[in-house]
Amino acid sequence: MNFQNEINNDIKFLAQSEIRLKILDELAQTPDNIRGLVKRTEITYSSVSSNLIKLENHNHIQKIDDRYYINPITEIYYTTLREFQKSVELINDFDTFWTKHNIDQLSVESIKRLTDLKDSRLVETTIIDIYKTHNTTKQQLLESKRVKAIFPFLHPEHPKIIESILKNGGNIELIIPQSIYKAILFNINTKIRKNAIKKGKIKIYPVRNDLEIYLTICEESMSLGLFKNDGSFDQNRILVCDSEKSHEWAEDLFETIKRDVIT
Amino acid sequence: MTIIKTRAEMSSEFKNVKYILTSSMRTRLLLAIYNDSKNLDDLRKELKKPSATILHGLKELETENFVKKSHKYYELTSNGYLLTTNMIKLIENWYAINKSRTFWDNHDISDIPEELIKNIYLLKNVAYISSTTSDLSNAYNRYKQLISNARELKMVLPIYSENHFKLLIKLLKGKQLKSLELIISKKILHSIKRNNYFNKGLLKNEKVKLTVVDKNLKVFLTCSNKFMALSLFFKDNHYDDSQILIGNDDKALDWASSLYKQLEGINNDK
Repeated sequence: MNFQNEINNDIKFLAQSEIRLKILDELAQTPDNIRGLVKRTEITYSSVSSNLIKLENHNHIQKIDDRYYINPITEIYYTTLREFQKSVELINDFDTFWTKHNIDQLSVESIKRLTDLKDSRLVETTIIDIYKTHNTTKQQLLESKRVKAIFPFLHPEHPKIIESILKNGGNIELIIPQSIYKAILFNINTKIRKNAIKKGKIKIYPVRNDLEIYLTICEESMSLGLFKNDGSFDQNRILVCDSEKSHEWAEDLFETIKRDVIT
Repeated sequence: MTIIKTRAEMSSEFKNVKYILTSSMRTRLLLAIYNDSKNLDDLRKELKKPSATILHGLKELETENFVKKSHKYYELTSNGYLLTTNMIKLIENWYAINKSRTFWDNHDISDIPEELIKNIYLLKNVAYISSTTSDLSNAYNRYKQLISNARELKMVLPIYSENHFKLLIKLLKGKQLKSLELIISKKILHSIKRNNYFNKGLLKNEKVKLTVVDKNLKVFLTCSNKFMALSLFFKDNHYDDSQILIGNDDKALDWASSLYKQLEGINNDK
């Protein structure tokens, strides 16, 4: 597939007019006549009328009696165009999170499903709460009995957090760098650790190469942290989301990275 | 709300989409450096445009923080990479729709959740099979051939079709097919129950796991670990057995599996 020729004229035709997109948005919800569309869109009669003619000429809508209907295939086009728009919004809304950060470990599929993170909030440290990001994820982890996490570095509190999850009967799957494997594992209470390993309550996937992503998946929420382009982890901001979609997104990313690690 | 205000809101809502998608130069530049950074010379040769045009486009993209220059080479920023990946998804989505345009344009897709329409690019490699005037059973025969070799099947069966039931019972009696998960509506269930042979061969078969949904579904979906097949209803509510999409790559299987799961849980969505 030659991508370069594929932003075709149909995409351009729809994208170049906000009025046309607005009309399609309304018609995708319910068919209407010109006067109804003028009322719903609050666009002038002449603009609605001329754009309806253009949309009809390009076979995106059809007029039956005096009502306009969006064509089924245009409805699909519009849904995908709207999806693209939402991905652009998400990039812009969390600009400080993405800009100058390393996203190499986000899989292409996870980026294509970026809008699954649409209900996220950016948690940032402040001068009066410099541990806000760590404390946010710590709280999430301690409240969860099923945890999957990618810890790319050793935080002094990680072993105790893991210990606490296990002590409460929880399960944890971890992807961590080989270099911190012992430091994490042997700082967990010996009895709890041995018992958890025996019962398969803790699974650790050590990685030889550096990890460039921080990810926690708890029962109620997920959080994502990135490294800056200079190679240091950005401790000052994380993206947190509680939606089911974000949970699935994070699970898929975790499993993709796990698969890459194991193979 | 005034007209001016609404227009301003609209403008802001779609501004970025318009900015990105309506300039061939900007989109071509983003795509050109998607996989590798390139210098001006490389870009001039690839895009066959004068330096001034390319530099102008690059400058605009740099200003928007989608492109950065490093030692005479232009590359995407993290924002640029996120944007371009999603632009490729949009292109792939439209490619997948256009490839099977007749299929999507002629059928009722109301039972396919929006989440799956948004990711229709996953079906970009599926084959569109249709029956012809010289072979009216082409689509069904291809389908029959496919499911005859399956070990496990998951089906959303929205029609009462003796041909399909007989074929399934024959396969279930054989050694190859180990399990069949079936989603049917109450209406279809009721009709099957009235036929002893189908009732015994399907509903009371221990290899069959049945999910009954309230809704009369308008999707005929079959998935195995090797293939997926999808056929739909016409907009006048009649089932169309003459057109089918068949896919066998991982992406198509993922799409079909998501659709199956969503339809399986349709009773819980009420």
